[in-house]
Amino acid sequence: MATAYLLLAPATVLLLGMLAYPLGWEVWISFTDFSPLNDHGPRFVGLENYRHLLADAEFWRAVVVTVGFAAATTLAKLALGVAFALLLARPFRGRTLVFLAIFLPWAYPASVSVIGWYWTLSPPIPTAYSPFMGTLKYTVDGALGGGAWAFLSVTLFNIWRGSSFIGVFLLAGINAVPPELFECALLESRSAWRRFWLVTVPLLRPFLALAVFLSLTTAFADLANVWLLTAGRVVFPVVGTQAYWLAIKGGQFGPASALSLMLVPFLLAVLALLFRAFDPPAEARA
Amino acid sequence: MNPRPWWRRAGHAGLLLVATVYCVFPIYFMFVQSLKTAQEDVFGNPFIVTNPTLENFEELFERKGQPRNFVGRALRRDYPFFVWLENTIVIFGGSVAITLAAGVAAAYALGRLQPPGFRWWRRAIFATYVVPHTILFVPLYQVIIRLGLDDNPVVLLLVYPTMALPFCVWILSAYFQNLPREIEESALVEGASRAAAFYRIVLPMSRPVLIAAGIFALGTIASDFMIASVFLLSEHNQTIPAGLATMEVALDELLAVAGINLMAIPVVLLCAVFARGYVRGLTAAMIEGA
Repeated sequence: MATAYLLLAPATVLLLGMLAYPLGWEVWISFTDFSPLNDHGPRFVGLENYRHLLADAEFWRAVVVTVGFAAATTLAKLALGVAFALLLARPFRGRTLVFLAIFLPWAYPASVSVIGWYWTLSPPIPTAYSPFMGTLKYTVDGALGGGAWAFLSVTLFNIWRGSSFIGVFLLAGINAVPPELFECALLESRSAWRRFWLVTVPLLRPFLALAVFLSLTTAFADLANVWLLTAGRVVFPVVGTQAYWLAIKGGQFGPASALSLMLVPFLLAVLALLFRAFDPPAEARA
Repeated sequence: MNPRPWWRRAGHAGLLLVATVYCVFPIYFMFVQSLKTAQEDVFGNPFIVTNPTLENFEELFERKGQPRNFVGRALRRDYPFFVWLENTIVIFGGSVAITLAAGVAAAYALGRLQPPGFRWWRRAIFATYVVPHTILFVPLYQVIIRLGLDDNPVVLLLVYPTMALPFCVWILSAYFQNLPREIEESALVEGASRAAAFYRIVLPMSRPVLIAAGIFALGTIASDFMIASVFLLSEHNQTIPAGLATMEVALDELLAVAGINLMAIPVVLLCAVFARGYVRGLTAAMIEGA
């Protein structure tokens, strides 16, 4: 057993040091009035920061935007991903090429493609395509309010990249299901639509659940990427970025920590639901 | 299967075409821009390039202080692109290696040795994904300052593995857990040590899953932009993504696009070479019970 713990040590130490400890610190700070602007150290204020947040209309706007963004992108990514996986599931001529094309958006490093996407969709320079993009931007912003186009372009980027990951992931899932099961289904029902909902979806359920969860976690990263890229010029109040702003610009570490932690219970609830969906089969077999 | 009517086949082909164009077009667009001269960028057709040139790529590698043949040179900064490239290679390679080493060790312990409560341990590792790194900047900075690693690329070697580890441990341990025990046991009976049995037998058998974990790690690490740009401040410590983001896009748009391509092409090629292995590895892990 000592070997087991020894082998677990590197991964555990990394996760504890770079995730759990900062998280714990953040939880503690969220109960204090800590700020580099004060000359005293952190002072315990209980739930004060949280109470303020819940009474803040701006916070609720951020929550709505965050949850809406996460839900919309996840649904779109799932729909496209399932479509990609089903398209690739059967052999046909040129399948390798189409597979590679679908794999590309995920394989293309998002750290730089987000820069490219962002500047292509909102070009600040006199390129040949900027008049067109500019018109598009002002039309959307005019209809939906300032910053809408930037937000939309991040949404599109996240869907573009995420659907690629989910498509390839679900393709692996389809390959893991014994083909006989699909063949039986073919005999049972002639309607492709019914087969999809009654056979394919239940069989892929654990993989769909995993894909949803992984896609949720990247949705936030993409938002933050663009937000940082534009040095916070692009305004869309999302929980994570609002908190960062509050901490860095306002020096209010306490409220900022409380604000960022508000995301965690939401994601934990999703994870708990998903564990129910994808764990039982493995445990039953073990 | 009975032959499908022509309209079904045409529909299928049409869908494939739409999917391919949707996936590839943005990448194609970025690639085309990087091959343009400034003149063509402004006056040409945005979708094609008529006089492809590599001068944007060449310019990236020009040494500091050397004169450039562009007007308005006074306004434009020089970029140590070569240093960024070196940093990126070292950090990406190192992070993937650390992720795989720590991941394989942990997964072997959880899947094979199964200490008490291993299932909860594995869940806890996976559950760390509920904490987006976006919300950890401020406390992470405290840790980094305490470690004395402020503005030091080593930070990324510590942070990046935590982004990919949970998933890698999950798939690797699912795979290890369900490999038949006899495989290792026969080697142990013949007097091999546990380490030798692992190295000679289990590891080679896990090749596809290792590839899947490695590609996932590379993809995840290569997609990070915020951690690099928040924690690496001085120019000579930055990776390509962090550095490109500091470029003045209004003046150096073509240069930035060339940089994007230069960073992306090797990563994409690596992923493409292992793409089939990636799917096979994921499938193997899923068959063994995700």
